[in-house]
Amino acid sequence: MVWTESARGPRLDGRGRERRPGQARGKHARTSPRAAGDQLLLDTARHSAARALTLTLLGLASTAVALALPAALGHTLDLLLARRGGASGWVLLCTALICAPAALDALDGLLAGTTTARATARLRHRLLCHVLAAGPRATARFAPGDLVTRLVGNAADAGTAPGTLAGAASSVVAPLGGIVALGLIDPWLAVAFLAGAPLLALLLRALARASSDCVAQYQRLQGDIAGRLVEAVGGARTIAAAGTADRERDRVLEPLPALSGQGHRMWRVQGRAAAQAVTVVPLLQIAVLAVAGLRLNQGLLSVGDLLAASRYAVLATGIGMLVGHLNAAVRARTAAGRLADVLSVPLPPYGPDVRRLPPGDGTLELRGVGAVRGGRHILRDLDLVVPGGTSLAVVGRSGTGKSVLAALAGRLADPDSGVVTLDGVPLPRLGHDELRRAVGYAFERPALLGGTIGGTVAFGVSDPGPDAVAAAARAACADGFVRRLPRGYATPCAEAPLSGGEAQRLGLARAFAHAGRVLILDDATSSLDTVTEHEVATALVRDVAARTRLVVAHRASTAARADAVAWLEGGRVRAVGTHESLWRCAAYRAVFGG
Amino acid sequence: MTTDTPSLIRRGVTFLAAHRRAIARLTAWSAVEAAHTFAMGYALAKALDGGFLAGKPGEGLAWLGLAALAVVVGAFGTGRTYRGVAALVEPLRDRLVGRVVTRALREADGAAVSRLTHQVEIARDTFAGLVMVSRSFVFTAAGALVGLCLLAPVLLVVVAPPLVLGLGLFLATLRPLARRQETFLATDEAIAQSLGEVSGGLRDITAGGAEPYVREQTGALVDAEFRASLALARWSVLRVVALAVAGRLPLVLLLVTTPWLLDRGVTPGALVGALAYLTQSLLPALQALVHGLGASGSRLAVVIRRLTDGPPLPPPPAVEWAPPESSPAAVELRGVTFSYGEHAEPVLRDLDLVVPVGGRLAVVGPSGVGKSTLAGLVAGLLEPGSGEVRVAGGRAGRVLIPQEAYVFSGTLADNLGYLRPDGVPDHELHAAADVLAMTELVDRLGGFGAPVTPAELSAGERQRIALARAYLAPARIAVLDEATCHLDAEAEARVESAFARRTDGTLIVIAHRMGSARRADRVLVMDGARTVLGTHEELLGESELYRDLTAVVRPDRLGSTP
Repeated sequence: MVWTESARGPRLDGRGRERRPGQARGKHARTSPRAAGDQLLLDTARHSAARALTLTLLGLASTAVALALPAALGHTLDLLLARRGGASGWVLLCTALICAPAALDALDGLLAGTTTARATARLRHRLLCHVLAAGPRATARFAPGDLVTRLVGNAADAGTAPGTLAGAASSVVAPLGGIVALGLIDPWLAVAFLAGAPLLALLLRALARASSDCVAQYQRLQGDIAGRLVEAVGGARTIAAAGTADRERDRVLEPLPALSGQGHRMWRVQGRAAAQAVTVVPLLQIAVLAVAGLRLNQGLLSVGDLLAASRYAVLATGIGMLVGHLNAAVRARTAAGRLADVLSVPLPPYGPDVRRLPPGDGTLELRGVGAVRGGRHILRDLDLVVPGGTSLAVVGRSGTGKSVLAALAGRLADPDSGVVTLDGVPLPRLGHDELRRAVGYAFERPALLGGTIGGTVAFGVSDPGPDAVAAAARAACADGFVRRLPRGYATPCAEAPLSGGEAQRLGLARAFAHAGRVLILDDATSSLDTVTEHEVATALVRDVAARTRLVVAHRASTAARADAVAWLEGGRVRAVGTHESLWRCAAYRAVFGG
Repeated sequence: MTTDTPSLIRRGVTFLAAHRRAIARLTAWSAVEAAHTFAMGYALAKALDGGFLAGKPGEGLAWLGLAALAVVVGAFGTGRTYRGVAALVEPLRDRLVGRVVTRALREADGAAVSRLTHQVEIARDTFAGLVMVSRSFVFTAAGALVGLCLLAPVLLVVVAPPLVLGLGLFLATLRPLARRQETFLATDEAIAQSLGEVSGGLRDITAGGAEPYVREQTGALVDAEFRASLALARWSVLRVVALAVAGRLPLVLLLVTTPWLLDRGVTPGALVGALAYLTQSLLPALQALVHGLGASGSRLAVVIRRLTDGPPLPPPPAVEWAPPESSPAAVELRGVTFSYGEHAEPVLRDLDLVVPVGGRLAVVGPSGVGKSTLAGLVAGLLEPGSGEVRVAGGRAGRVLIPQEAYVFSGTLADNLGYLRPDGVPDHELHAAADVLAMTELVDRLGGFGAPVTPAELSAGERQRIALARAYLAPARIAVLDEATCHLDAEAEARVESAFARRTDGTLIVIAHRMGSARRADRVLVMDGARTVLGTHEELLGESELYRDLTAVVRPDRLGSTP
């Protein structure tokens, strides 16, 4: 589901200076996101530097204790077996060394958990802010599902980075310390271990490679089932109407036995690898023990030394832990790269919020506006004025850029050339709140956020209050059906399935409740029946604050109701006039004739 | 969430009971695997006492050789336990995949793909981990305890009590920990859901300037998960305590009681063996158990519940289709009312409609007004809230071709013969291709036997295939729900007349272009829940909406509706 840049083309990028990063992506696609990802990881680690350092120290302390214990245990055992005095001090020391790791582990677990949680939360907050600020520019580059994966899963993976980095030091020290300790007890022990070690190295490599082929096969079959399911879900209506659901189920699940076969094979391969693992490590240990036993027999080592050697041999094989650490680090790094991708979406600059719009009637002006989508010029050098307090309908065949024009008019996107002004002020100079208070949008398929039905109407730069919400709903002919809901305006959206027309009316109410000067209606009444549309149109003139209206229209009657009509063709304005005057032209009538 | 735990446990027990043989095999191989645990302590003790300490290095080496042999045998057992795990885990995966697919097909749920590839795998991995870890602990502990008992039964007196105490403590923390884990997973899910809504609604958020509000709302969820992780991390401390009591305390006790044990005839070899059991077998197994069971148990429960629960699967709509008695009607609707929610406004209200056999009806109206709902009612996809829908010939009597044409990976002939289980003769395939003007497409794809890849077809090509399939279907009533929207007007006209020309062919077209209405005998105009039925000419006079839709606006009305 990942939309790649090349497949989708640079979309919704801003003007010259904002577009540059997007263009650069093509050239540096391989290096730059990774570098940005590493930067992000570094930043995350730096933010929790104190915690990461503490974790590292805790890990090292725990390793030191683990390395000290076998020697102490061995010596204590020797003292106890010899039944000489002075052992109690050593027993006490051993007790301390046995219990200390528990305390250290507890601290480590607590700190590692909180550090990861903190880093993850911080990354998510940062990404959320960025995505919200980028707005539709973010969804133009990443499909919504992909964005969610990045913010949920990838952020969690990247959040483990500080803990993983902190654990790296001790995972190196423990096996090295084990080998050194073996050498200190008796050089021959280290020799015995190191002689067998290549076997261990081979094994680790085999472990990494063994299952990769099976995994690939397994994933291919899984993808096959998923692909069949996607096809079938896309044809759900056909299948339901034909009553062939059972046949489809069989067809989708056809690769399942093969998947199961690969699954069994995966376990067998893993079992073989595990069997090798549980052979090599104890055999190495036994080799060390055999050498230690012979040295013991020669009187060169004590029983305690043998005990210690057996334990050090196990510690020395802990090199496998390092592989796990490396894997985690690689995963965190990849995840950070994907997060950096999201953070590289340029943010539209807003003017300072203290800047107020000069008094005005809401005159909207587009001068020399051009827009490029996917390498195609959607709008070219377009000039259009909507005088304050009037309504302008935008009509044209599908694909002529009506919705892009609507998006530019209220700065959901910035034009690639030219400028859009409201009462003489270019939109990018306006502060965020000032702009959104002045301009309101309603869409053909509104996304209704805000939790409750009332909340969806109140959803915006500021809550207009329940009275204004109800008034706006009345103007949008939504008050009636909302009141019939079990809990009226307090009904959670999840409990109120809405038809397309009802959703549109709530979307209209939301725009009515907030817009101060300009309303942009992008096919926002397409699902309303004629009577409701009339009522909404009347209320719009009578009860709504925003007097200037830009209306993307598909129906002739909607265009007829507007003060003027802009007829788009091929990304340019073909004509502007009243519906009546344009109607004489057959080509204009054909726009609606469908 | 907790109320259906018993049912989950019951289902789990049923599942395990159904796989008794696999469990028995797993147990047997686990016992073989435990030989290695047992030997590492026991043989070491014997090697010391009877060999290296007794001045008989040969015997010592022999014992170690025996241990090495036990390692190899045990490793063989380890390899086989993986197969045993597979025999439990793979059937679970198969069953979950089956359920997910069935449900996805019933509910037309696109999100199911993520469940299929992601959550099912989580379930598979956690279940396998759970089985591995708990099985490994039980048999390692058994191997070690048997070894201790054989070395010197008195060792058990020292080792067993703290072990049991620690395990008890661990089991006691399991429930509260699982609850924290569930809270954590719930917050994680809430974040995913909220982010899903936010990502889908970014345009509306930006348009409304609601970024700060959303940042606060969704940010609060991020913080909630943060707090849940903190709680989880704090509870993990208790696990460490349990681990210390069960795994580390026996070690300390063993050292403290060494003089006493030596007095009771415990040999130095047995002591070294006991220490080896404790440090190398029990402690690691306990660690794996404590870390593995605490988290994955509740994760598995949550994932399985999410995959298998939800609203009960609705029974497949098995409506008995009574043919309209003795009337020549192909489709008959009597007083049909339909709404999507209990409190929602009806999409259709009290609709009466009769389409005679051989009739040709076009349905027009604004987008979203409920035309597809009407098509769904006629096709039997939806049931009316009240009233009656009768279709001649029942399910087999009508075929629906929706806007989103269904083409699956398979041969072209498979796709075209989809509604003809007994197969379609070649000449019929050719005739259909000819009538629907798609011979060029058939040739380009490489003939009827050639495989088609849906993703490589254009939307128009997919629609042609779906239309040809419906044309070849035995059903005489065809419902075209904007099924020609990706064809040009000329092709659309050709397709419609091909369907109408079939013997007794009844055609209902949800019109995408107004040309469909001009070609029909009757047109149904849907304006909200109100409908008007008439011929094209009648409607031009009667329905303002119809004039609007056909772009025939009476000049005298222009401007009169501000």
